[in-house]
Amino acid sequence: MRERLSFYIKRDSVLHRLNPLTKLTLTMALILIAFLSPWYWTPHFILLAAVLPLSFAGRVFPEFIKTALRLILPAATFLFLMQAIFQPVGETVIFKFYFLDVTRESLMFAFRNATRIFVMVSSFTLFLLTTHPSELMSDLSRRGLPGQFAYVIISTLQILPQIQAKAQTIIAAQRSRGLDTESTFFKRAGAIVPLVGPLVFGSFIEVEERAIAIEARGFTSKNLKTSLQEIADPSFERTVRWVLILLIIISALLNLWPS
Amino acid sequence: MAFVNLKNVTYKYPLTDKPALQNINLQIKEGEFVAIVGPNGAGKSTLCYTLAGFAPHFFKGELSGTVEVAGKISNQSTLDEWVLNVGLAFQNPFNQISGAKYTVFEEIAFGLENIGIPRDEMKKRVEDAMTLTGITDLADRSPYSLSGGQQQRVALTSILVMRPKLLVLDEPTSQMDPIGTREVFGTIRKMAEEGMTVVLVEHKVEWIAEFADRVIAMHNGQVLLEGNPSEVLTSNVLIKNGFGLSRYTSAAREAKKLGIWKKEKLPVTLDEAVEGFKK
Repeated sequence: MRERLSFYIKRDSVLHRLNPLTKLTLTMALILIAFLSPWYWTPHFILLAAVLPLSFAGRVFPEFIKTALRLILPAATFLFLMQAIFQPVGETVIFKFYFLDVTRESLMFAFRNATRIFVMVSSFTLFLLTTHPSELMSDLSRRGLPGQFAYVIISTLQILPQIQAKAQTIIAAQRSRGLDTESTFFKRAGAIVPLVGPLVFGSFIEVEERAIAIEARGFTSKNLKTSLQEIADPSFERTVRWVLILLIIISALLNLWPS
Repeated sequence: MAFVNLKNVTYKYPLTDKPALQNINLQIKEGEFVAIVGPNGAGKSTLCYTLAGFAPHFFKGELSGTVEVAGKISNQSTLDEWVLNVGLAFQNPFNQISGAKYTVFEEIAFGLENIGIPRDEMKKRVEDAMTLTGITDLADRSPYSLSGGQQQRVALTSILVMRPKLLVLDEPTSQMDPIGTREVFGTIRKMAEEGMTVVLVEHKVEWIAEFADRVIAMHNGQVLLEGNPSEVLTSNVLIKNGFGLSRYTSAAREAKKLGIWKKEKLPVTLDEAVEGFKK
């Protein structure tokens, strides 16, 4: 069983050492520029000249390419086909398929959109692969994100696999008492009740106890929280973030510019 | 003046008719190690929650009488202030893991982060607390990968690190082996000798006899008996009310019927039993 839901891979690299907020800004900049820039080849350029080299810089290329392809290939392919076939633009018909025309323009349009999606998913994958969730959350809470919000995100990532494991235990326990979980559809549907009951009510009790436990450890204290992890944020990273934000704004303005 | 002072405390959970605690009067000195025994449903855990401020601040319900710890009155303070003085660890270790941290070291630091302890002091306190409970070798493990007994140690350490004045423990060793239990009881004893006041709920009565200063026997939400462990834990009143005795007490009781046990006083611990049977 996996101990937690997280893509993070522990390695030492330039990308791993960057401040989480810088990485988040970079990710958002890559995505937004890919979507906003009016220049046709921007998303392709970003993918090849930014996202791929960054995955090498982060020393996670094999995992990156595997995860990104698995996540995006089905959706991007589907999107590409749908848009190539049904987008009613352009005159240069490349081939006809019954009543559907695939034009050069619709192919170009579909290709760009599929690449945009690719940039979006792959930059997020890269971000998650190189950023430890608790590091991200402590950095964001230091910058004013409410502690409760950070707690909900992080604890969900950790507790979901535990709930999964408990569901397995309950299934095994009920099956050992003769519950049928493998025959006809209706029998299996009926078998859900004795599985869900203990899981849901058990979780309620757990939530109450966990609330007591974290409350006993000062969770709602009005004191200003401190953090065990020291997260570096050198001043040049702050500059980098502003430059990235500026680039996003420029892309947006270019996009809005009446051409 | 007593460090912990409960006067006519009655507490009722919401939506219930019968009070879980009835007219409890209890005084505990600073640095005293008090154990609570009693059958299921006697109100032991409720007493723990009351001392730790969760009844009524967390569970709501009705609390009457006064609960006073370290000069503060429970009804007149808020829970986040109260937990700075009173630490609580309870039975199920799994639910005491915050879920917000990926290593044991971070998990133990969680409480200190919440109350805003500076980083250097935090590290030192976490290291000290882990040394005290003997879990330094677990520092980099995920809290979820640990055994029940190890998780209980982590839960206890996570509270000890906050340095409460009053430590309330509800069966903190239920998943530990005898060696682990002995070590943990030793640690708690040491904390009490250093001035921390300890209230502990425990079913393993022979441990209480060995380590606690005083025993409180609870029954139906009331204090049935209190006093010296060796007297309370062998009392006939407990037997009549369905309390569990230590196996040494039970053995000596049987032996007494057969005339083998000559002494008037029954033993609670192994040492006392060996001593008594020798004569």
